[in-house]
Amino acid sequence: MTRPELIDIHEASAPDRLAVAIRDAARRSPEETAIVASAGSSDRRSIDYAALAAMVDHFEAAVLADGPLGVVARTRSVDTLVAIAAACGSAGVPVALLADDARDLAGELREWSVVDDSLSLAGTSSPRPPHEDGPPHVVVATSGTSGPPKLVQRTWDAVLAAARLADQWHGLGWLLVYDATRWAGIQVWVQSLLTGGRLVVPASRDPDTVSRAIVEEQVAILPATPTLLRRLLTSGDEKLLAQSKLARITLGGEAADGPLLDRAKAVFPGARISHVYATTELGEVFRVTDGRAGFPASWLGREMPGGIRLSTRRDGELLVQLSRDSADVATGDVVELRADRFEFTGRRSDVIVVGGAKVLPRRVEDLLRSVAGIAEARVYGQPSAITGELVAAEIVLVEPLPTGATPESIRAAALTTCRESLESYGVPRILDIVSRIKTTAAGKVSRRPLASTP
Amino acid sequence: MTASVSDAIATAIRTVLHDTGRSAQAVVPSMLLSTDLGLDSLDLAQTIVLLERSLGVDPFRAASGSRPSIRSVADLITIYESAVKPS
Repeated sequence: MTRPELIDIHEASAPDRLAVAIRDAARRSPEETAIVASAGSSDRRSIDYAALAAMVDHFEAAVLADGPLGVVARTRSVDTLVAIAAACGSAGVPVALLADDARDLAGELREWSVVDDSLSLAGTSSPRPPHEDGPPHVVVATSGTSGPPKLVQRTWDAVLAAARLADQWHGLGWLLVYDATRWAGIQVWVQSLLTGGRLVVPASRDPDTVSRAIVEEQVAILPATPTLLRRLLTSGDEKLLAQSKLARITLGGEAADGPLLDRAKAVFPGARISHVYATTELGEVFRVTDGRAGFPASWLGREMPGGIRLSTRRDGELLVQLSRDSADVATGDVVELRADRFEFTGRRSDVIVVGGAKVLPRRVEDLLRSVAGIAEARVYGQPSAITGELVAAEIVLVEPLPTGATPESIRAAALTTCRESLESYGVPRILDIVSRIKTTAAGKVSRRPLASTP
Repeated sequence: MTASVSDAIATAIRTVLHDTGRSAQAVVPSMLLSTDLGLDSLDLAQTIVLLERSLGVDPFRAASGSRPSIRSVADLITIYESAVKPS
């Protein structure tokens, strides 16, 4: 497919860029699909670039007429969320993209106009003083993995920084399994819509729905956390997934283990699997593309592309030095040398302390998942007045169960395996069989005990 | 009340023994937790979590300051009976 008169969207200022890209795609190929909503279900809805651009135009006109101080997007649909963000950037008005669980934070923005899927401005906002506070920005809520969610302000330059705009990235199908209002999700829809791609939003995170969305919508790129990918691979429809056209799987947010990567390669032989290591403070640090867990041991202590240097503390915590004259930044991630690789064994903050002894939950989870009949595992610290914490675990069993196995026999095998491989304090004392593992809004395994989660 | 608390305690202790690969045995109030049943502090901590699930209380978490001595099954029964009693 040739694309005549391709506009260089870099000529547009960062806040304008999303609206420019959507309008450009609408001009060149108005009937091309921009967003597929509720994919994999009977409520499937497709929005073409002409319709999306019309929504952007409509809302930008409303914003320019009303002049709100800022706009809080409270939409259920991704297409309206995108239209609000693009229109606000283009109109030079700050915008807040907030998920359901972050909405009680919106009090901080109470003078802003709240807009829902109807895209109508309530007209109750305070008028915006001209040239008030620098360039328009984007307000998002942090994931809350390491504390309660809070609102943070990002520039449009930061929002768009990671998008890859080279020709090879144009016109692809992207699956959005992340929450569209979280940083990881925003990155996916920004990337897709800046490059004339098709953003495929599954109706739910249910593995069968996600499998259908991937195959029916011919998704090429799947960005996901290892937890979401594992759920898809263990509970999704394998025959269906074998027909997928996935070209790339980009994992991030958590460490990926070897068995997961091997299984992904087996189910998606045509897909290139990469694993991004990034932190909130540092952004993307490196990317591993050889399909193996962890990263090569030879990367430690030598200058990497971009001038980055990696080292470890004595306790195994990974340190990153961004440039020769900057200080080491502690990442909170613990790595362990296994043969020629450094593998991630967990977050320092996830450590469970049992009577003074430290247990890394990831190690126990990896062990549990190695037991025949166990699909997924979550290990967390159960508070105890006697020992401080106890190791507790939830497991999800495969369906159907292996021949001759019962839930009770699998649970017993799991405990035996743990007893054989771990110190006594590391063996789960609470081991529950559950139908699914609880994940955070960001799609990661939650490490908090159930009692203290809302 | 007495029957249900002591039953819950016996069940919890047998689960702990079973889960840790030891043979479950009859649990009677006069038994000493460590000498007769071989329970260590991890076993006791597990027992308390299991009892919080079955009886809905954790008297050890609520208690501030000195912890009552728990040597026998009877000690556990006394502590849990006063904890589940409506005040």
